Amino acid sequence: MLITFLNHQWKAFWRSKNKGGSIAAQIFIGFILLYLLTVAVLIGLGLEVLIEKSFPGKDVLAVFNGFILYYFAIEMIMRLQLQDLPTLSIIPYLHLKIPKQTIVNFLNVRALFSAFNILPLFIFIPFCVTAIADVYSLFTAIMYIVSIVSLTIFNNYTALYVKRLSISNLKVVPIMLALIFTLGLLEYFKVFSIAAISNNVFNVISSHPLAALGFSLIALIMFLVNSRYLRMNLYTEELSRNEEKKNSTDYPILGRFGEVGNLVALELKLILRHKRTRSSIIMCVIFVFYGFLFYKKDFLKNDNFAAMLFAAVFMTGSLISIYGQFMFGWQAAHFDGLLVNKVDFRKFIKAKFLLFTIMSSFTTLIISLYGFISWKILAVQFAAYLYNIGIGTVIVLYFATRNYRAIDLTKAATFNFQGVGASQWVLGLPYFLLPYVIFMPFYFAGLPYWGLIALGTLGATALLTREFWVTFLLNQFNKRKYNIAEGFRE
Amino acid sequence: MMLEISKLKKIYGNKTVVNIEELQINAGETIGLVGNNGAGKTTLFRMLLDLIRPNTGQILSKGENVAKQDKWKDYTASYLDEGFLIDYLTAEEYFTFIGGLHNFSPAHVMDYLTQYTEFFNDEILNKGKYIRDFSKGNQNKIGIAAALMQNPELLILDEPFANLDPTTQIRLKSLVKNLKQEHKMTTLISSHDLNHVTDVCDRIVLLEKGLVIKDFLTDENTLKELEEYFSE
Repeated sequence: MLITFLNHQWKAFWRSKNKGGSIAAQIFIGFILLYLLTVAVLIGLGLEVLIEKSFPGKDVLAVFNGFILYYFAIEMIMRLQLQDLPTLSIIPYLHLKIPKQTIVNFLNVRALFSAFNILPLFIFIPFCVTAIADVYSLFTAIMYIVSIVSLTIFNNYTALYVKRLSISNLKVVPIMLALIFTLGLLEYFKVFSIAAISNNVFNVISSHPLAALGFSLIALIMFLVNSRYLRMNLYTEELSRNEEKKNSTDYPILGRFGEVGNLVALELKLILRHKRTRSSIIMCVIFVFYGFLFYKKDFLKNDNFAAMLFAAVFMTGSLISIYGQFMFGWQAAHFDGLLVNKVDFRKFIKAKFLLFTIMSSFTTLIISLYGFISWKILAVQFAAYLYNIGIGTVIVLYFATRNYRAIDLTKAATFNFQGVGASQWVLGLPYFLLPYVIFMPFYFAGLPYWGLIALGTLGATALLTREFWVTFLLNQFNKRKYNIAEGFRE
Repeated sequence: MMLEISKLKKIYGNKTVVNIEELQINAGETIGLVGNNGAGKTTLFRMLLDLIRPNTGQILSKGENVAKQDKWKDYTASYLDEGFLIDYLTAEEYFTFIGGLHNFSPAHVMDYLTQYTEFFNDEILNKGKYIRDFSKGNQNKIGIAAALMQNPELLILDEPFANLDPTTQIRLKSLVKNLKQEHKMTTLISSHDLNHVTDVCDRIVLLEKGLVIKDFLTDENTLKELEEYFSE
C-alpha cells in the first residue's frame, strides 16, 4: 500500500499542471542539495584534520563531541523553516477501505525522504568509523552512529510535529521563536553552553556506549507522539471548523480612497482571513531583526553602507517582496469574478500600489527603532524605503503581470513551493540588484551619502511619476490578462 | 439588438469547442442554452464575458466588441461558478463590494436585499459565516442574487438550477420571469434541466460539439421535442 501511495505521489508530481515551474524549482533545489551533500561528505572525511587545524592544541574528540548537539540545535532551526510537510493529499483516500494507520504510516515514511536526514549521516559517520573506532572500540563507534541516527530521527519528527501544530495553531510559532531566542541569548551570555553539555553527554556515551539507546528512546517517543497526533487529526484538520462567528468589517480610513480603497480593503481581508497569508506576514515581521546582523559598528564608523543597504532594502520591502512575488496568484480563486465585474483595472493596479505603500511604511516605522543605534541607519533605511515604494513596487507588479500561477490559499504550509515559478526566481535579481547599480558608483567614488541621496531621489521620482507607471503596468496587464485568467482557472 | 455573435471559434489543441457562424440575441429575450456536457456552453459564456479570447470571430454587445472595451460591464451581470465569488468575505461584505462597484451605498444594498428574503429562505444574511463555509447551493444563491442586484439589462447564468433546492428553483424561475416583464431584461441561461428551461425561456438554442444545432421559439411541444432529441 505504501508503494501505491508513493507511486501516486510520483504521478501527481509529474502530471501536475504547473509542471514546468515545479520542475525548475525542484532542479534548483536539487542542485543546492547536491552541493550541500558534496560539502557534507568532504567535511565528514576531513573532519579530523579540520578540527586539528581550526582548534590547535585542543582535544579533537572533545571538539567533536561538543559539536554534535550544536549541529542538531542549528539543524532544528533550519528544519523548522525549510522542511516540507509531506503533502500527499490524503483526502481521496480517507473514505476508502484503507486503515487510517496505513495513511499515517505513509505520511511518516514519506517524511524520512528529506535531505535533512541524509546530511548528518554524511558529516558524522566517516568520523565515527575512523577516529572513534580507533580511539575507543568498534562497538562505541556503532553506538555513536546509533545516537546520530536517533537524533536525526528525533529532529525530523519534532520539526514536523511543531510545524503541524503551528498550522492548526499559529501561537506555536512565536512560542517556538521565543524559546530558540532565549536559548540563543543564554548561550551568548555564557549562562550555559550547548557545546559543554554536548561534550558531557557524549563523554558518557564513550564510556557507557549503551547509553546511546537513550537517544533512540526519545526518537521513538517523538515518532509515536507525531503518529498519534496525525491519527487524531486526520479528521479534524480537514473536516472540523471552528464555529466562531465571523463578522463583517470595514476600514473607514480606506473608504476615503474610494474604489481604490475598497480594493485595498478587499486584499487586507484576504491577507487577514487566510492562514497562509498570515504566516507570510509573520515571517516578514521576523525579518525586522535582520538589522542586528547587518548593522555592524565598524560599518557605521566607516560609512560602509553597501552591506547595510541590502538589509535596509530587504526589511523596508519585506512585505512587498514576500507577499508581492505571488501576485496576483493570491486572488486566483476569484479572478474571473474580478474580471467580469465592473472593476476598473487601472484602480486595481493603483490599489496594489497603495497596499504596498502602506505595508512598506508600516515596516519602515518599526525598523526606525534602529535609529537609536545611529542616525546613519535612518538615512540608509529612508533611501531604501523610497526605493521600495517608488521602484521596487513597479518591479514586483511588472513580474506579477507575468505570473500565471494560482495560489491555493487553503493549503497552509509555510515554505510551500506551490505557486513558485520562474518569475519568482527572476524577480529577486532586478529587485535586489538595482539599488546597488545606483548606489555602488557613488560608493566607489568615495561618496556613500551621495549614493543614498541618488537612490532616494530616483525612488521619489518614480513615486511622483506613478501615473505613468500605472499606465505602463495596465498595458502589460491587458496584454496578458487572458493568460493570467486561464492559468488561475486550472 | 443585444448580442451579435459572428464567426466565433474557439479551438483547444485540435478540438473545436465552439464554432458559431452567426447568432443574434434581441433585447428582452430569455434564451435557454441546452446541450450535453462538452457542447461548449460554458466556453461560449466565458467568451461573452471576455474571460477567454476567441480564436476567430467577435462578439458585439449593443454593437461594441466585448474584447475591446469595458462598457458592457455597466449593464451585464453574470454568475457562472464559485470562481466568481470572493469566498473569504461574508455574504454581506460581498454584496456591499459588488454594490459599491455600481456606486450603491451599503445601506442601499441591504435595503435592496430585503426583497430577496424569500429567495434566501433565511439562510444567507446575518449568518456570521464566510462564503467559503456556505453549502454549494447557498453559494449559488449568493452569486445569483449578487448578479440580479446589479439591475442588469443582460443576465448570464450557467446552470443556475443545479444545487438549488426545489423551492428555490421555483422561486428563481418566477424572479427571472418578473424581471423580464418589468425591466425588459435579456437573459441567457444554460441548463441540463429541460423542464425548467422550456418553462422560463422563450427561445431555445441547442448546442452540440460547439455547433448550433437548433434555434427555435418555445411552444407547447418544445419539451417533448427536446426530450426526443436527447434520448436519441
